[in-house]
Amino acid sequence: MVLEVTTKSVDGKEISKDERNYNPQATSCLNEKMVYGAQNKASYVRDTSLQPYESKNETFEIKLPEGVRTADVTVELNYEIHVPENKVPIHKVTRRVTLDR
Amino acid sequence: MRTMRFIVMFLVAVPLTVLAQAPGPKKAKTIDELAAMFDSARCKQCHAEIYGQWEKSHHARPLMGVADGLMLTPVVKSSAFQVKSPKDATLRTFPCFKCHLPQAAAYAEDSLAVELTQALFTASDKDAPDKDKAAARAKVAKLQITCIVCHNEMAITHKLVLGSPEKDVIYGSKDMATHGAPSEKVFTKGKKSAILNQAVFCGQCHGTGPNFEFDYPVQCATLYGSYQHNYLSKGGFQSCQECHMKKVGGIADHLFPPNWNDKASTSKMLSESISLDVQTLGYQSLRKAGALTPMIVVNTKISNTAGHRIPDG
Repeated sequence: MVLEVTTKSVDGKEISKDERNYNPQATSCLNEKMVYGAQNKASYVRDTSLQPYESKNETFEIKLPEGVRTADVTVELNYEIHVPENKVPIHKVTRRVTLDR
Repeated sequence: MRTMRFIVMFLVAVPLTVLAQAPGPKKAKTIDELAAMFDSARCKQCHAEIYGQWEKSHHARPLMGVADGLMLTPVVKSSAFQVKSPKDATLRTFPCFKCHLPQAAAYAEDSLAVELTQALFTASDKDAPDKDKAAARAKVAKLQITCIVCHNEMAITHKLVLGSPEKDVIYGSKDMATHGAPSEKVFTKGKKSAILNQAVFCGQCHGTGPNFEFDYPVQCATLYGSYQHNYLSKGGFQSCQECHMKKVGGIADHLFPPNWNDKASTSKMLSESISLDVQTLGYQSLRKAGALTPMIVVNTKISNTAGHRIPDG
């Protein structure tokens, strides 16, 4: 499960990209390396997954380049199966944000 | 006196001999034999809708992985359980059988593991002809968690009190004096299962933590552990079946969604359990006097109302 926040200028140029990963993470317990595959995992060593009846709160601070006062922010939450390219989309929110009042 | 001693010896020896020769369960030597022993195609005659749902489920392809990824290939080729040659494989090569093919433990011989490993080697051999690869994949696909596995073999967890599953009984939601077409000679009775509608039934396979009974620990699904420790503790009362076997037309859905091969329906299910709130602000931040910094702040809040951690399995 990956949360991606991408910010682009109004002409489509990428300003920033950041992500958070939510998943239980395991090693073989024979070394420090994270592994995939049940046959390789011996135990979780870290768990950032979404827990039932709990929320994950994140804050992303994006500094805008000089002269840029408006940008398009896209927030995507995807479930990734095996590899990052194999995504199941869950939510996608796009919003134009401006400093102009 | 000698006759008496002979009679006593005879009475003792004969039952011991019979015990020693008492046949265990018939064991499958090949994939086809095991598939035939647990073939549930006959169930389709009366339960066509349920059978159709099951055919599309991951239970119908437990060794194929998501998108037919053949999840056992890395087990035999690049894990602690790997073998140099298919002939070296035994049932112990496949700890995954515990849940992905539970009937293999009691009803298969090591020769099945050899045949399966050969199929996995062939399917992943880049030099093998396409038709051989396809045949190998088709062979692996024959091994399924069929109706009989859940509704008989795995239907009783309290064996000390309730006994082992009876061979001619299908366990379900109610008792039935007769079951099946009159011409059928198998599963002629139905009994109400004590646990089939409870989370503990699913928990037999959808896991609590590392499996330490193998010669190398195996950590697969931990869904049931998450359900027990992180959902019930927060006041949740629903069972696995209430969400993953919702009734469709009055019948419990045997597709057991999500179906990971169907991204659209999986996306819908996940979006119903997981919410995302996004708040944005554009302003000029002031770190120190005279140094205004144009900035966008994005606050996100993701909430999970499922009865377990996501992701898990």
